[in-house]
Amino acid sequence: MLRKRRPLQSKSEVVLRSIVVTFLVVYMLIFLIIPVIIAFAGSFHIWNPLNGTYKWTGLDNYIRMFQYPTFWLSMKNTVVFCAVVVFFRVLLGLALAYAITSRLIRHKTFFRTIFYMPTVTPLVAVAYVWKIMYNPQFGLVNNLFGFDINWLFSSDFALPAVMVMTIWKDFGYAVILFMSGLMSIPSDYYEASNIDGANAWQTFKYITLPLLKPTMVFVVITSLISYLQAYVPVMVMTKGGPGTSTFLSSYLVYDQAFVKYNFGYASAIAFFILIFTAVLTVFSFKLTGENS
Amino acid sequence: MLRKTMAMLVIISVIALTCACGKSETTAYKGETDTNPDKGLPVMGENVTYDPNHLINDGKPVELEWWLWDAPDLFGSIAEEFEKIHPNVTIHVVNNPWDGFWTKLPLALQKGTDGPTLFNVHNSYQHLLLTYMAPYDIDVKDLETDFFTAKSHEIDGKIYYVDFGIMTGAMYYNKEMWKAAGLTEEDIPATWEEFREVAKKLTVEEDGKLVQAGFNYNGDFENLMQGVPYQYGNTIFDESGKVPSLTQEGQLKAAQMFLDMYEKDHVGDKDFGTDAAQSFGQGQSAMVYKWGHFYGYMNTNYPQIEYGTFEVPAATKDPFAYDRYNGEATPGINKNAAPEQIEAAQDFIRFYLANTEKQKELCMNYSLFPANNTLREDTELQDNPAIQAVSAHIDNYIWPGPMPATLADNLKIACQDMMYNDTPIEKALKTAEDIVKVDLSNQEFVSSENLYHRYSEHK
Repeated sequence: MLRKRRPLQSKSEVVLRSIVVTFLVVYMLIFLIIPVIIAFAGSFHIWNPLNGTYKWTGLDNYIRMFQYPTFWLSMKNTVVFCAVVVFFRVLLGLALAYAITSRLIRHKTFFRTIFYMPTVTPLVAVAYVWKIMYNPQFGLVNNLFGFDINWLFSSDFALPAVMVMTIWKDFGYAVILFMSGLMSIPSDYYEASNIDGANAWQTFKYITLPLLKPTMVFVVITSLISYLQAYVPVMVMTKGGPGTSTFLSSYLVYDQAFVKYNFGYASAIAFFILIFTAVLTVFSFKLTGENS
Repeated sequence: MLRKTMAMLVIISVIALTCACGKSETTAYKGETDTNPDKGLPVMGENVTYDPNHLINDGKPVELEWWLWDAPDLFGSIAEEFEKIHPNVTIHVVNNPWDGFWTKLPLALQKGTDGPTLFNVHNSYQHLLLTYMAPYDIDVKDLETDFFTAKSHEIDGKIYYVDFGIMTGAMYYNKEMWKAAGLTEEDIPATWEEFREVAKKLTVEEDGKLVQAGFNYNGDFENLMQGVPYQYGNTIFDESGKVPSLTQEGQLKAAQMFLDMYEKDHVGDKDFGTDAAQSFGQGQSAMVYKWGHFYGYMNTNYPQIEYGTFEVPAATKDPFAYDRYNGEATPGINKNAAPEQIEAAQDFIRFYLANTEKQKELCMNYSLFPANNTLREDTELQDNPAIQAVSAHIDNYIWPGPMPATLADNLKIACQDMMYNDTPIEKALKTAEDIVKVDLSNQEFVSSENLYHRYSEHK
C-alpha cells in the first residue's frame, strides 16, 4: 500500500506557523469568543458592568426588545440604509471602475487616487464636515443647489442625507476592488467577443459582469456586514433624530449600552443583529451562488 | 529542540503580555515627611470647619490621584494650597476628556487601590459611582447647615458628595436688538404672556423670510420641558418618586405654548438654524433660554455680543417652582483606596468644604449660584449675569434628583417628534413616558422632588 507523502516542511516553517496560529487563536479567544459568550450570558440579565449590577431576568430583555417600537423602526431603517447604500456603492464603484479601466481614459492613477481619498479619510471627520454642509442656514448643499431644507432635522431627509454621506465616503473602496477585478479578466475574452461582433453592452453583460461575480459577491457581502454595524455617521450627524427617525440597530445598541447603561438589553439586541447578519450573509451567498 | 523551546517561550511571552493588564504593585510613596503638626494657621469655615494644625498619615509621604474632566488649573490650585499646608501629601490631578470619563472612571474604581482616590462627580452618574464611594467623614448636620442643597444628597444618613454651586436656566437677550426694538429695562417680562409680546417685537422678517428670531429654542426645547411644567404645579414623578408622569396638564400646556411661539407667533422657526446658542452668538436671535455655562460660552466664543439676562418667565404670579436646577458636585472618595489615602482624602474634602474662597472661584468659573450659605450675598458673584438672573427666587427652584439618562433622552426624542415630525403633543409625551417607566423599573432611582420646600402644594 502506498503511503501518502506529506509535503516537506522545514522546522522553522513549522515553528513560525505554530506561533502565528497560537497568536491568532489567543487573540480571537480574548477579543472575540470570550466577549461574545459574556455578552450572550449578559443578555439574560439586568447588567451594568460599571457598577456591578448583574441580576437574572430570563428572557425579559428579548421580550422587551420585540415590544419596543424603536427597535422595529431601527431594524427597518437598517434594512433601508443597507439596501440603498450597498446598491449605490456597487453601482458607482462598478461604473467608475469600468470607466477608469477603459482605454479611452488617461491619468488612471490620478482618478484612482481621487476616488479613493474619501475612503482613507477618517469617518468621524467626514461626518462632521457633511454635518456642516447640511446646515440649513450656511451649509454648502442648500447654497449650491438653492434648496431650503433642514436636512438633518427632517424625518424625510435625515436618513437619506446620512446615506448620501456614507455612499460618498465608501464608493472608492468598491472602485479599487472592481478595478482589480476588471484588470484580472484575460484580454482573450474581449478579443473573442470583438471577433464575434459583440457591441459594448453585450461585452459588458456577457463577459465582464459574469467574470466579475466573485468581486461583486465580495463587495456586497463585506458591505452588508459593515453597514449592519454602522453607527458612527448617525452618532455624529443626527444622534438618531429627529425623534428616532435615523436610529439604526447598531446605534440603538450603542445608545442602550453606553448612554443608558442597559448592557443586558443592548446585548440582547446585539445578538439579534448577529443572527440577522448571519442569515442575511448566507442568503446573499446562496443568491449570488445560484445566479453564477 | 532548542528552536521548539524558543518558540514556546515566545508564545508564553505573548500570552503573558496580553494578559498582564491590571497587575497591581505595592505603592511606595515619594515626597517629603512632615514633622510639624502646628502650622500656625487659623481654623477655617463656619459649621464645617477645617483645622490645619495636625499631621496626616503621621507626617509620612502619601500620594493621591484626583480625576476630573474640566478646569485642571482651578481644581489643581485647591490641591496646591492643601499641599502647602501638608507637604507630605501629593495630589496628582488627572484631567480626562468628558467623553468616556464615565466609562473609564468606574472601571478604574473597580481596581480598588489602583483607582483614583479622589474623583469629581456629576450627580447624573451617581448610580455608577455610589458603590465605590466612601461617605464624607463630616457631621451631616454641619453640612446641611452650611450647604443649602446638602439634604438632597443624603443617603441613609450619609453624604457622599454635596453641591458647591447650582446651575439653572435663564433668558439671555441681545441688548442691541432689545434697544433697536424700542424696548427698555421696564419691558423685562415676568410672565410668558409678556414674554411672547416682547419676542414678537424682537422678530424681524424680510420679504416674508425670518432674518432675526425674537426667541430661538432650537436644541433647548427638551431643557425647557424639564423645568417649565413645574410652574403649573406638576412634578415629573409621582409621590413614590419612581414613576414618571410626563402627560400632565403642565407638560401639555408648556409644550403647546412653545410650539405656538413658532407656529402662531412666528417669533422663531424650527428650521432657523439648528443651535440656538450659535444663532445668538452670531447675532441672528434676540433671546435664548440657556443654563449658567452659557456665560462662559459667550465669553469664549462671542465676546463682542452685548447681552443681558432675566429670570425665566412664569406661568402664574407665584409659580410652584420657576425651573429645575442641577448642582455641581464636590469630589467623591474611593472607599477601596489605601487607608492612608482615604485619611488624606477625607482631610482634603474637609479643607475643600471649609474653603469659601476656592468655592467662590469655582462658582465664578462656572457661573453657579453658590451652595455655601456664606457666599449667598457675595457681591462679586451677584454681578455675574447668569447668577444675577436667578438670585431673587433661588429657593423656588427644584431639583428632581440625579436625573436618569433615559428621562432626558426620551424627553428629547419626544420634543423632536413634536417639533420636526408633527407628532401630536400627547402622543409624543405618552410614548416617552411609557419607555421611561419600563427603563426606570430596572433602576433604583428615587426622585428628590419631595424634598422641595413647597412640595405639598403640587397638583
